Amino acid sequence: MLGYVARRLAMAVGTVLAAVVISFLLVHISDSTPGAVRLGPGATEAQIAAENEVLGWNRPLVVQFFDYLGDLVRGDLGTSLIDGRSIGADLADRVPVTASIALFATLLSGVVGVCIGVTAAVRGGRVSRFLMTGSGVALSLPAFWVGVLLVYVLAIQTGLFPATGYVEFATDPAGWATSLAIPVLTLTVGGAAIIARTANAGMREALAQEHIRTLRAMGTPEWRIRYVHALRFASLPVVSVLGIQFIALFGGSVIIENLFALPGLGQAGQFAAASSDIPALIGVVVVATVVVVITNLLLDLLVAALDPKVRTA
Amino acid sequence: MSVLPLDAADDVATEPVPPAQRRRGLPYFLRRPGGLFGAVWLVFMLAASLTASLWRPYEVAEQDLANRLALPSGAHLLGTDPLGRDLLSRIFSAGAEPLLAAAVTVLVAFGIGLPLALIAAERGRRVERVISRVTEVFLALPATILLLAVIGVIGVRTFIIMAILGVLISAAVYRVMLGVAQSVRQRLYVDAARVNGLGSLRVNLVHVLPSMATVVAVQAAQLYGIGLLIVAGLAFLGFGPAEPAPSWGFMIQDASSYVFNAPWLLVPTGLVLALTVVAANELADAIAGKASIARTPTRRKRPLARAIAAARGDAAPADPAAILEVRDLDVSVDDGPALVTGVSFTLRPGRVLGLVGESGCGKTMTARSLMGLLPDGVSVSGGSILWQGRELVALPDKELTAIRGREIAMISQEPMVALDPMFSIAYQLVQPLRRIRGAGKAEARTIAAELLRQVGIVDAERVLKSYPHELSGGMAQRVAIALALTGEPKLLIADEPTTALDVTVQAEILSLLRALVRDTGLSVVIVSHDLGVVADICDDVAVMYAGAVVEDGSAVAVLDEPAHPYTMALLGANPHVPDGEPVPERLASIPGTVPPPGSWPTGCRFAGRCQFVQEKCTVPFPALPAHGAGSVLCVRVDEIARAGATWEADDIGAEVAPGAGLTAEPIATEPAATAGGIR
Repeated sequence: MLGYVARRLAMAVGTVLAAVVISFLLVHISDSTPGAVRLGPGATEAQIAAENEVLGWNRPLVVQFFDYLGDLVRGDLGTSLIDGRSIGADLADRVPVTASIALFATLLSGVVGVCIGVTAAVRGGRVSRFLMTGSGVALSLPAFWVGVLLVYVLAIQTGLFPATGYVEFATDPAGWATSLAIPVLTLTVGGAAIIARTANAGMREALAQEHIRTLRAMGTPEWRIRYVHALRFASLPVVSVLGIQFIALFGGSVIIENLFALPGLGQAGQFAAASSDIPALIGVVVVATVVVVITNLLLDLLVAALDPKVRTA
Repeated sequence: MSVLPLDAADDVATEPVPPAQRRRGLPYFLRRPGGLFGAVWLVFMLAASLTASLWRPYEVAEQDLANRLALPSGAHLLGTDPLGRDLLSRIFSAGAEPLLAAAVTVLVAFGIGLPLALIAAERGRRVERVISRVTEVFLALPATILLLAVIGVIGVRTFIIMAILGVLISAAVYRVMLGVAQSVRQRLYVDAARVNGLGSLRVNLVHVLPSMATVVAVQAAQLYGIGLLIVAGLAFLGFGPAEPAPSWGFMIQDASSYVFNAPWLLVPTGLVLALTVVAANELADAIAGKASIARTPTRRKRPLARAIAAARGDAAPADPAAILEVRDLDVSVDDGPALVTGVSFTLRPGRVLGLVGESGCGKTMTARSLMGLLPDGVSVSGGSILWQGRELVALPDKELTAIRGREIAMISQEPMVALDPMFSIAYQLVQPLRRIRGAGKAEARTIAAELLRQVGIVDAERVLKSYPHELSGGMAQRVAIALALTGEPKLLIADEPTTALDVTVQAEILSLLRALVRDTGLSVVIVSHDLGVVADICDDVAVMYAGAVVEDGSAVAVLDEPAHPYTMALLGANPHVPDGEPVPERLASIPGTVPPPGSWPTGCRFAGRCQFVQEKCTVPFPALPAHGAGSVLCVRVDEIARAGATWEADDIGAEVAPGAGLTAEPIATEPAATAGGIR
């Protein structure tokens, strides 16, 4: 078990390093330079060259890389080329926004998806076909389209929730919750569909297991067979997919944040990409990778705890 | 634009499509409504988008300022946008880029992922590890955010961006394909091809890749859908073609700002995009054949059996001492062929009855029908199962549940999978003890430990704390027997209880069963293809062939003086020779195989394989009394007995014997003496 954890940790560090290397190389093979970005389109060649010199752009790549790495270890992500703000402080404010949307959407997807998938597996027949076809369609719908449709129904037609905007938790917890409602629901449509398919397949597989027949032969009540034994068996793939789901939602939050004007990590990424703000871009990549890596670690541990074969190994 | 996880490959059949499904006409996946819709829609979209400039009613930038935000009309079939531009023209003019760019992602992802998977599967563990570690790192990178970084650096160049996405996703493709490639390589014919000297490239191209075609197609179609969503998502964020050039994503972005006063604007573009992604996914599902798996039978119905039982009601057994009496039992596939016909036997308390025969003779179906645990779509279609004077056929499931575990228990062939892998042994034993015996938690645990000791487990406490995967096969079977004993049943049904075990462990389990019968007065129905087991433990035996009992009686009588040619043949095929007996020169075999249900001949079902077959065997005839209270189902039984004939080991049989599926599986303890047949 200890060796397993050590190996996962090494993988985690390696992944973050890879993210830094890739974004670093990406930036340096391009023809745009930080000087040009900072000075804007009006600048002359000479001014740009001078600015690049100041920013240390002309130093050897290796030196710049280890410089950046050293800063990173100290928690310093540098400053934005556009407005000079601290990237680290900016992203620290943004991560909770994205994380809470992704987390709530994942949890809600889990609950809704498991209910749908298990119902379909247990009921079979027409109910199953209806639910699974519905899930197949739901996971194909573009989130940004679903989001606008939900805004139309839940904000414009019924006025249940605000259409866009974000309220700080500290200022107004209830307002915070309602401001997240439509974004979370939007992500849940596709997320629940994926979980439903996973839970359905897992449940079917579980119910076809030999040990389920043993339980039947022992006169075990049907509810216990389904919701204790089969569900427990199906929980492993569902938890794995939920983890992947969280990662996908976290990384893919950019669309939702754009649509609902939420000040999250994805929005920062979009702004940085649109303005070629190189240090901000690398910062977003690094922070997102760290979150993904930590989630993966937690997920591995959770799956290990759920699976006796791993737990007792 | 969440990067959807690709479905795991184990959802998808890796076997090549059976030829029956391949036959002329449409490919199988186009015969499903989803698959047909998917393929037709994708082809239509591609054709309509690529030719849009030829047929579109308006230019993409052409403004009809009098008709801004118009609803569909004769002039504008899908309405107009805020600048009065025709939506139909813009949607289809915008289609080519996402449809092609998503294909680029798929091509790049498979172009990298698939060869890597083939190499990793071929080159063994070390190479596989290196590649897998690298792809794991790639998998953990946040793809969407990295794409944004790429856009920030190289600008909006959709095809290059989608190619880079393909590189990132190739790690996921690799992971799925590696599993498939490894399982394909394990199949024998790939080894055979390699032994035959085919080069590595040829082995991959000729043998491995075609077997992977289904999975590749499924994953590619799914990935295509994801790619479409990502291209549109990027355009939605403004990283798409610049205005006035149309793009699906930006048209939806545009619509979202007019959702207050012109909600219709959302519908056409969103619907076309959604339908296209749905089409890709439906095509993937159809190729994977998921629709057929989804077609599960609804609740089981047993109308016929119910009617029979209603007409008869509970009856007194013919043999007053019997605990279980099965009469004329028929089991059949609903709306299909019969699997078991006219099976009758009687079991007295404390006796052991063996059901023997080759695979596919209906032994297991008979045994499972005793507990009402037949597979979905199979049911008792006639006859009677009288358990302690109570008719079990067509008993409601609720009442059967009350009998299962408490009165009748079962152990199965594969002890390793019979126990729930997710729960400790203690949990699995304590739970029925509390339910059936009403024991408290601590008491139940004490009883559980006692039961384990009773089945010969010495360190019961350690085993209680274990999980099934920590037990050996023999140990697991002991635990399974202990589990069956938790409800203090009167009858134990043992379905091939020793088949999956080592020979030494087999003997231990059999002696355990014998001790239980002796000590507790348990009755046992044991299903086996092994005559050794029958001779070892059974008091009575019923030999089954093709769904019918062909001979039954006391074990001693049937094994010592077999009357039916099939029983003789089973005994003659026995490789075990007791001490002091001469070793036969060659083993007998039974040519041919058991005919499958639905193709049984009229008259004697064994006639096709019998050495003693004659014209009269093809006419139906009744069973004759034999072995005292037993019976035999053979029209020539007296002639054969008079001639003193036995099953003869012939040359053909000897040659065929080692072949697959042609011999009888049984192993009998009785020697086979060779004597003249009476052909």
